[in-house]
Amino acid sequence: MPEQPVDVGPGGENVAGEAPAAEPEAVTDDAILHDDDVELERTIGLIGGLAIGIGTMIGAGIFVFPGLAAANAGLAATLSFAIGGLIALLVALPTSELATAMPRSGGGYYFISRSMGTAYGAIVGLGLWLGLMFASAFYLVGLGHYASAVFAELNIALPADPVIGIGLLFGAVLTALSIGGTENTAKLQNMVVGVLLAVLTVFLSYGVLDAVGVFGGGTVPEQFFSRGYFPVLTTAALVFTSYLGFAQVATVAGEIKQPGRNLPLAMVGSVLIVTVFYVVTIFVATSSFGAERLGEFGETAMVEVARDFLGLPGAVAILGAGLLATFSSANASILSASRAVYALSRDALLPRKASKVNLRYGTPHVALLAAGGPILVLVGTGRVELLAEVASFLHLIMYGLMCVALIVLRRRNPDWYSPSYRVPAYPVVPAVGALASFGLIAFMQPASIGIGIVVMLTSYLWYRYYAGDVTLKGDL
Amino acid sequence: MTDRQSILVPIRVLAGESVPEGVPELLAHSHVVLLGYHVIPEQTAPGQARLQFEDRATERLDEYEEIFESAGATVERRLVFTHDGQKTIDRMIAEHDCMAVLVPNATGPVNDVLVPVRGAVGVDRLARVVASVFGAMDADVTLYHVAAADTTDDDVRTLLGGITDRLVEFGMEPSTIETRIDRGRDPLDAIVDVANSFDTVVMGETDPSLTTFVFGMPAKQVANRFLGPVLIVQRERASAEKDG
Repeated sequence: MPEQPVDVGPGGENVAGEAPAAEPEAVTDDAILHDDDVELERTIGLIGGLAIGIGTMIGAGIFVFPGLAAANAGLAATLSFAIGGLIALLVALPTSELATAMPRSGGGYYFISRSMGTAYGAIVGLGLWLGLMFASAFYLVGLGHYASAVFAELNIALPADPVIGIGLLFGAVLTALSIGGTENTAKLQNMVVGVLLAVLTVFLSYGVLDAVGVFGGGTVPEQFFSRGYFPVLTTAALVFTSYLGFAQVATVAGEIKQPGRNLPLAMVGSVLIVTVFYVVTIFVATSSFGAERLGEFGETAMVEVARDFLGLPGAVAILGAGLLATFSSANASILSASRAVYALSRDALLPRKASKVNLRYGTPHVALLAAGGPILVLVGTGRVELLAEVASFLHLIMYGLMCVALIVLRRRNPDWYSPSYRVPAYPVVPAVGALASFGLIAFMQPASIGIGIVVMLTSYLWYRYYAGDVTLKGDL
Repeated sequence: MTDRQSILVPIRVLAGESVPEGVPELLAHSHVVLLGYHVIPEQTAPGQARLQFEDRATERLDEYEEIFESAGATVERRLVFTHDGQKTIDRMIAEHDCMAVLVPNATGPVNDVLVPVRGAVGVDRLARVVASVFGAMDADVTLYHVAAADTTDDDVRTLLGGITDRLVEFGMEPSTIETRIDRGRDPLDAIVDVANSFDTVVMGETDPSLTTFVFGMPAKQVANRFLGPVLIVQRERASAEKDG
C-alpha cells in the first residue's frame, strides 16, 4: 500500500485553548509516521482483529438474547437476527472502505469528522463513547444473570437478587484490571474466542441434528411467524446490540497491520461468522422448547436449552461459556470506550487530560475511569432491554452517518481519498445501509429513542460550548 | 577498510535505558541506527502515549545522538511507540538494512574482541561487521570455535583461516587476529566463560529452528549472560520475508 496521509490540517482551539493534534505525515502497512521520524507501530494481525470483532459480538447476543427475542417474535426471531446481520454487513462494507482510506484510531468517529465536519463528528464521537458505555453496562448485567445462574445451579440461596450486585462488582474489577495494565489481554481474548467458538460449534451441531429429527422426534413445532410480522422488526432493533463488535475493530484501525487487507477481512468476516452462529442458535433454542417457554427462562435461557440437550454437563458448559463471553464483551467495550476518549481528546473535543497515560502502568487511567464510572451507574439500572436499545440507537446513528460519509467522500473525491478496498455496487450498498440503519431505529421503544436523542443533543451542545472553533474536516 | 556498516542500537528510551558508557566509542566507525522505542500495554493506543511522551523521548534521543556523533559515528534515528518491541526491532533491521544489532552494555576501552564462529554459514557478513567496526580501532580480535567431537583441528583451522583471510582482505592487520579452538564443552557455556576475559562479543544469529524457538537464539542467550556489549550479526533475510 502506498503512503497515504489524510490531508486534513485540523485547526481551531477549544475553550481550554487546546488545538487538535497534528495529523501524521504518512500511513503505511506497519506504522503511522509522524514528523521527525516518530512512528506508531501496528501490532494487531488479522486473527487479533477477528477476535476483537467476534469476541465483542458473540458474548452479548448469543447468551443473553435468545429468551428475550423468542418471547417477542417466536421462531421468527431467527429472521430478526438475520436482518440484524444483513444490516451489519451493509454497514461493514462501507466501513471497510473508509477504514482502508483512513486507518486511524477512533473508527467511525474519525471517518465522519474528517468527511462531514466537526459537528457531526462530535455527535458521533461522544455518542460512540456513551454508546459503548451502554453496551458495556448491558454486557455486565448479562454477566450478572449468568453468575446468578451459577449460584442457582449450586443451590446456594442468596438473600437478595444478586444480578446487579455482581454486574457492579465485575464492572469495577474490569476497570481496575485495565488500569493496572494486564499483560497479554489480546492473547487472552483470542483464546477466549477460540474456546467459545468450539463450545458453541459442538453444542449447535448437536442441537441442529436434534431439531431436524436425527436423535429425537423432529421438533420444529411452531408456525414461523407465531407473533406476526411486526415483532420481527422490533426484535431486530432490540438484538442489534449483538452486532456492534465490528465497529470495535474500526476503533483500533490505527493498530492493525496491513490495514488495507486486514481491516475489511476482520470486519466483514466477523459479521458473517457471528450471523451464522446467531441464526443457528436461535433456531436450535426455539425449536427445543418453543418460544413461549424459552421466553419464560429470560436472560439465561441458553442454559436450559443446553440442559435439555446434554443434561447437567451441557448446562455447566454453557454457563461457563456465557460467563466468559459476557466478560470478554464487556472488557472489549471498556477498552474501545477508552480508545474513543483518546480520539476525542486528540482532536480537542474533550480535555487533553482525558487521554493522559499513567506513567507507572502505561495505561490511560483517566479515560478508563471515565468509561468505567458511568458504566457502573448504568449497570445499577439493571434494565437489560433499555441498555441494549440505547447502545444500538447510538451505534445505528453512527452507522447510518458512516454510509452517508462514504457517499459524500466518493462524490467529492478529494486527493487524499484513495481506499485500497472499494465497496461493491456503489452507491446501492451504502445508500441501503444508511436507510436500513436509520430505519431500524423506528422500531425501538420510545424510551430508548428518547434517551438516544437526549444524548445526541447533549453531545451537540457540548461541542458548541467546548469546541465550537475546532475544524477537523478534510481539505477537498 | 570496508564501508561503514549499519548497526542498530535499540534503547527503551523511557524505561530508564540509556546509552551505556563505552558504547559510543565502540561504534565510532559505524553508521548507527538509533532506535528509541517505548513499549505500551495493549489497553493504550500508541498515539496516546505519543501525545504525552514524545517530547521527553525526543529530548533524550537528541542527547544520545550527540554522544554518538561526537564519538565519530554517523547517526540516523527513529522513535517508535509500540505494543511489541521485538516487532519494531525486526522492522527496523529490515528497513535500514542493518548488518548487526547491538545489545548495549557498558564497557571500557575496547582492546579485546571475542568472535565465536559456529560454522561456514554467514561468515562473510560476520567478517564485514568485525572489520568495519574494529578495523580502525587497533583492537585484538580472537576467532573462537568450540569444535564438535567429529571435527578435526584441520577442519577448524581451515574455517578460521578463511575468516582471517577475509578480515585481512577487508583491511585488518593480520597481527591483530588470533584463533582459538576448544573441544568437548557445551558451546554456549564455553563462549560465556571465555567471553569474561574480553571486552565485547560479536556473533552471528542462527537460523531459527525448533530449539531456538524454545530456548531462544544462542546469540541472545550469550547476550543475557555476558556483562559487556554484544553485537549480533543478522542473518541474511529474504527480501520477501514478511508476516501476514
